[in-house]
Amino acid sequence: MKRQLTLYLILFCFTAAIAQKYSTKTGEINFEASVPSFEEVKAKNTNVSAILNAETGDFAALALIKGFRFKVALMEEHFNENYAESSKFPKATFKGKIKDFDASSLTESEKEFTISGAVTMHGETKAVEVPLVLQMQNGVLLITTNFVLDPKDFNIKIPKIVSNKISEEVMVSASFSLTN
Amino acid sequence: MKKRRLFFLVVILLLVGAYFTYNYLYQDHRDIKTEDSVIEITAEDLLQQFKSGTAASILNNTITVTGTISQIEEMAVTLNNSVHCSFDGGLTGLVDNEEIKIKGRCIGYDDLFEVVKLDQCSITK
Repeated sequence: MKRQLTLYLILFCFTAAIAQKYSTKTGEINFEASVPSFEEVKAKNTNVSAILNAETGDFAALALIKGFRFKVALMEEHFNENYAESSKFPKATFKGKIKDFDASSLTESEKEFTISGAVTMHGETKAVEVPLVLQMQNGVLLITTNFVLDPKDFNIKIPKIVSNKISEEVMVSASFSLTN
Repeated sequence: MKKRRLFFLVVILLLVGAYFTYNYLYQDHRDIKTEDSVIEITAEDLLQQFKSGTAASILNNTITVTGTISQIEEMAVTLNNSVHCSFDGGLTGLVDNEEIKIKGRCIGYDDLFEVVKLDQCSITK
């Protein structure tokens, strides 16, 4: 009897632990470094993985660099070969923790949070703190965010010859629909 | 007369140059659907190759993966919990546990979920 109880307890703990994780493999990240009146420098990745631990607020995301797609094929090639060097550094990751996170406080209306963590790409890691908007819709946890990154922080050098066509500030936006 | 011929020659050369420059700058994207795949491999073997770090030559190439569907999403399927294949359009008529052959571009290994990811996929069988 006692043994059975422990077994149930273990099983219960397992299901509870599984239930606390929200994840997606098809999150979206956009970035743009356009300069007005020049060709737009903009890419989109719709295969970004993300996991949120709803108990602790720990959040991790991973984007494969080759998954970023540009409108202009040559720009995509240059991005992969010269800037992000995607063969050598195939992924960009984020690891962090949402401050004062409480899953039970989430509703259908948007609620703002802050996440602090670190972005790693191109072999460099940079600590960041960015605002997040969270929403719970029919069991789907929506996370959206916008922030700015500086290529210099990731040791990505933009040659002088094209520097007037690429903005120094890269606008990043991301959205994840996490499911249980 | 000679001057005029030279002038036309220069104009033609400029036009040809502009044409090639334009074509170079705005070349078409790769069409994964019509590209030949460099390798045909099972979903589990592909994952194994990435885990053991011997898959560098597969990255960014068009490959064909065979396996059974373990998860269906709106625009993606997962084969044998090992390979995540995303499509550019919606998917219809697929069922769980179906044997399938998918062609796509390998974009890398996702160590959060421990799956290999493919994009621009198409179903070949």
